[in-house]
This record gives sequence, C-alpha cells and structure tokens, in this order.
Amino acid sequence: MNLSQFNRILRQVFLLPVIALLLAAVALYLQIQGANSTVRLIQESDAHISQVSRLNTLILNEESALRGYENTSDARFLQPYLDASPHLQAEFNKMKALPGLDDVERRYIDDLIDKHQTWLDAFALPVIATIEAGGQVRDVDLNLRGKFMMDDIRRDLADTTHNAEQRRAVRIDLWQHQVRYMEQLLLVLALCVGIFIGLFTRNRLHAVSDAYKTSLDVLGRRAEEIFQSEQQLRTTLASIGDGVITCDTEGRVQMMNPVAVELTGWSQAEAHDRPLETIFQIVNETTRLAMENPVSKVKRLNRIVGLGNHTILIRKDKTELHIADSGAPIRDRTDGIAGVVMVFRDITLERKTQDALLANEKLAVAGRLAATIAHEIHNPLDSVSNLLYLMRNGATKEESVQFMDMAEQELARVTQISRAMLGLYRESRAPVLVDLKEMLQEILLLMERRFSDDQVIVHTDLPSGVSVDAFPAELRQVFSNLITNAAEAAGPGGQVNVSLRPQPALSINGIRQEAGAIVTIADNGMGIPAEVQPHLFQPFFTTKGERGTGLGLWVSRGIITKHGGTIELASDTGETTHGTSVSVFLATKPTINAGGN
Amino acid sequence: MAQEPHLVLCVDDELIGLKVRKILLERAGYRVLTAPDGSAGLELFTSEPIDCVVLDYSMPGMNGGEVAAKMRQAKPHIPILLLSAYIGLPSEVLSMVDLCMTKGEGPPVLLSKLGSLLQPLSRA
Repeated sequence: MNLSQFNRILRQVFLLPVIALLLAAVALYLQIQGANSTVRLIQESDAHISQVSRLNTLILNEESALRGYENTSDARFLQPYLDASPHLQAEFNKMKALPGLDDVERRYIDDLIDKHQTWLDAFALPVIATIEAGGQVRDVDLNLRGKFMMDDIRRDLADTTHNAEQRRAVRIDLWQHQVRYMEQLLLVLALCVGIFIGLFTRNRLHAVSDAYKTSLDVLGRRAEEIFQSEQQLRTTLASIGDGVITCDTEGRVQMMNPVAVELTGWSQAEAHDRPLETIFQIVNETTRLAMENPVSKVKRLNRIVGLGNHTILIRKDKTELHIADSGAPIRDRTDGIAGVVMVFRDITLERKTQDALLANEKLAVAGRLAATIAHEIHNPLDSVSNLLYLMRNGATKEESVQFMDMAEQELARVTQISRAMLGLYRESRAPVLVDLKEMLQEILLLMERRFSDDQVIVHTDLPSGVSVDAFPAELRQVFSNLITNAAEAAGPGGQVNVSLRPQPALSINGIRQEAGAIVTIADNGMGIPAEVQPHLFQPFFTTKGERGTGLGLWVSRGIITKHGGTIELASDTGETTHGTSVSVFLATKPTINAGGN
Repeated sequence: MAQEPHLVLCVDDELIGLKVRKILLERAGYRVLTAPDGSAGLELFTSEPIDCVVLDYSMPGMNGGEVAAKMRQAKPHIPILLLSAYIGLPSEVLSMVDLCMTKGEGPPVLLSKLGSLLQPLSRA
C-alpha cells in the first residue's frame, strides 16, 4: 500500500460516515417535519376549540344578559349583551378565518351564525325593543321559542366542539404514531448507520492493517537482509587479506580489520578515535622522512591515491614492515568525503622475492651471453694453445715471431671479452658518467657471435660523445636485454638497428623534458600483436616459452625508471612494415630514484 | 710407407684459429684444406678426396651440425671430428659426428683424436 492509497482510505473513513449520518439526518428531518405539521394541526384544533368556547361564553353572556333585562327591564342588566354582541360578530369572523377548517365545519359555523342571527332577529332584538318600549315579555311561547333557538345554538356549539375535539384526538393519535415511528426509524437508522460505519471502517482498517502487516514483513525482511549483508561485509572485511583502516574526515581511526590490527600492532580498541598518524606511522624507505598523512592526501586530491613506493610502516613495537598501500575517499550521498579508507599489505616478503628475481634476471642475462663468452674465450684459447705447441716443437725464429703476434692478438680478444663481461657485474654505489657509444659497442661485441650464429645483421648509428650519468652495470643489463630481444625477434636474415642520438632539453605542451639521450633498438621481426603489448612489461610474461624468464622487460623498466628515464615500445605487425622499436630515454643529469622499480 | 698423407679438411670461421690449426696439422704430417664457412667446406668435401673433417660447430650461415648432416649424406663413411667452443651440444648433433672435442683442450688431444679416426684407414 502506498501513501496515496492510504490517504484514500483516510478520506473514505472520514467521508462515508459523514454522508451516512447526513442521510440519516435528512430522514429524521423529514420525519420531524411531518410530526411538526401534525403538531400544527393539533394547535389548530386547540384554537378551534378555544374559539368555540369563546363563542359559547359570549352567546351565554348575551342570553343571560337578555334574561336579566327581561326580568328587570333595567338597562344595566343588558350591558353584557351589548358588550358581547359586537365582539361576537368579530369572533364569528375570526372563527371562519381559522385555518384548517373543512367544509363540514364551515357549514356548521355558517349554520351557527345563521342560527344566532335568527335568534337575534327573531327573539333578542324584538325582546329588547319591546322592553325598551316599556313592554313586558312574559310570553311563555316566545320565551320557549327563544330557548329552543338557543338550545339549538348550544347543541351546534357542542357539536362543533365535539367535532374539533375528535379531530384533535385523531391528530394527537397521528402525532403519537409519528413520534413512535420516528423513534423506531431513529433506532433503525442508528443501528444501520452504526453497523454500516462499523463494517466499513473495519473493512478499511483491515486493508490498512494488512498493508501495515505487509510493510512490517517487508521491513522485517529488509532488516534481516541488511543484517545479513552487514554480516557479510563484516566477514568480508575481517577475512580480507589486506589491512583495512577507515578514518573519519578528521583522520581519526574508526575501524580496523584483523589484518590491520596485526600489521600495525595496535588493537581496534586502542586505535579507535586516535589520529591515523599515530596508528599508521609511515616513512620513506630511503629518506626515512615521514610520508604525507594519507587522509590529508586523499582530501587534498579528492580521489583514490596510491601512497608512493618504498613505504615503511613503523609498528607499535617499532619494528618495520615494507607495505604497499592506497587510500580512497568514502563518499557520502552528496559525493562529499565522509571519511577515508586505507588499504595496505605487508610486502616485505614480496620485496625480498623481487630482489631475488632481480638477481636471478641478472644471472639470466649473463647466461644468455654464456655462448658468446665461451666462444670468445675458447677460440683464442685454442689458437694460443696450438701456437704454444708449435713453438715448443721447434719453430724458426721468423715463425716464432709470427706465432707470438697471433697469440697476442688472440689474447687481446680474451681480455676485451672479459672486460665487457665484468662490466655487467661491476656495481658502483653512485652513478658515473657513461659513454653510451662505448657501452653499446661493448655489448654488441659480447653478442657478436650470437648475431653471426643467428645470421642477424646489425646496423649501428652510434655518434661519439653522448654520455649520461648512470649505473653502468644496470644499463648494460637493460641494453643487452633489449638487443637480445631484438635479435630473437628479427630471426635469421633479420636486421637489428641500434641507434643513439642526443636529445636537447625541450618543452612540449608545457611539459619540460630534460636534456639527455635516446637509444633506439629496432628490429624488423614480425612485430608484437596489440593484445600482447600491454603485458610486455609485466613480470613473468614471456613470448619465448621455456627460453625466457619473463623478467627482462620488467627489470629493464625498473632500471630505467630508477634512472629517471622512460622506456617506450612501438610495434607494427603490418605485412610490409612489421617490426618493433624500443626507445629508452636517459637524462644527462638524472635524479636517481633510489628505490628503483 | 710410401703412402700419401691423409687429406684433412678444416672448416672454421675463426681465421687465425684456422690458420694455426692448418700449420699444426701439416707439421703432424697431414695434408690440410681449409674453408672459412660451411658451404665452402661442403664444396671442397665433395670435390676433393677428403679423408677426415675437422669441423667447427659455431659458424655463421650453416652451423657445424647442419654441415655434418650434409657431409653424411654425401659421403657417409668419412669421419668427422666436431670442434666446439661450447659445452653441451644438442645430442642429435653429437650422434651425427664420430668424435667431438671442446676448443682449448690442446693440440695433443686434437692430434690423438684425429689419429684414432684415421687409424683404421691407415691400417688398410
């Protein structure tokens, strides 16, 4: 049930009883009107009766006065007659004008008026005239006639009164009947309306209560669902392998999962409401400087932030962990920041593994060069031992000189190769000035045998005097990797171009590019499909199957990044244009990123 | 023993090494032909009455294994000694040749191995 349905029910519950009561009131009103009109009729009858009695009185007065006058002939006795006579006419008129008279009554009245007039004319007036004239009216007949006439009048009056009383009784009966009927109707209406309103309200309330029950059910289910989902989230958070800390906008710790508790060494209860910096104390691995508070960094940038490489977390007991971490804003409904969630994990082991991988890759590079090294050492060694054998077994002086020259040449080769090889391992603590031409030539020398074995043709374009500050052993590793890749991609009969060019400082679209050098190693191999390219710099990704470690490009990029340079790869698989080109930019005076990778 | 000295074909892209080896073998009493790569070696191998081949493994173009395979096809009975700067050559290559040695083992080893390959023939 939605709100509009509920409002409709409210309206119904309000309006329908009002309408029912109004209808009942109308019925009652009509009944009362009927009763009222009956009461009016009763009042009319009353008026009628009282009018008749007034007439009766006046006529009696007339008759009595006349009788007194007859007996005494004293005009004073006639006074009531004189008083009554004019009134009587008015009362007769009033009587005739009374409302609600039927024809019978009118006839009675007319008859009464006639009879009274007759009495006046035929008895009263002659009697008065006679007495006034000084006569006596002792005639029995005359008086009897007058009496009869008056009796007739009295009978008429009595009849009229009786009639009126009868009608009044009938009307009272009717009124009583009406009142009883009204009582019954009132009872029935009250009962009906009551039952109707009761039933209707019950029905509506049922609908509302059903809806309420439904919404209670829904609410209950929702609450259960929310509880379940909260439990699930809680379990998820607790089971997550990474440390999770949530903070409010002020950077006070709100929640920590068990991993976070373990990694930081602070319990949830201890940490709660403390500033994040206290719980999550992070410093840079090399500089040992405190790193920016993740909460303020997230608030400043208003987005998810990675919190820098080489972060060390100082635990409560002052032990240290290498961690990788990130911070993300917790958004409220208006997209504002309601807090910050930190996710971090212990990468101490990962770092050790990474270091081991790097060392391993270094060995792999040497391993790949082993063929060349063996060739370059064993061949001169073979010649030298043959020459020594010849000289020991008797050679002429000229021959000896010639043999020694040849032996020296061959030994020079060994020296050169051993130097080039040592270059791969010679570690320096600080960057030194590296002549890139020299370095690339040395690497190419180490790989020469391999090229000739694989029938790869190498073109070089290496101008002199291009130098950068770098760690030479590491750069050798990078270039030897890249050239090996290029030679393998080129395949028999393929070509590899190694070129070097200085890059002056320039500013493109406001981005300042330092002065440096670009080394480009290009091959005309089949090219790398676009879907493979994104994976090239990932560790353990190799297209060489068993022969590759899958670490070459990953390590190379790490080294170049450490040197503050960039490495970019472009590849084309087109039929006539196929090939891959890797460009490495190295700044002349780079800012070395001590951590590398 | 008015027998003609054995004719040995040396194939190697290392020119100094090849030159020294030729002198060495000539001093040991062999006649020596040299070739700087596989294809030149194969030409000489088919055109000349070669008794034995001293073959380098790692060469541009055709490597020693491929050259040996072709030689076996042409003249299966001619012994081949494979010289290599590497250790651990593929077994299919090793099975193709009669003997094998690593460069730098020294002239006595070379001469004795070569001698052992030619002995049956010289006895004949």
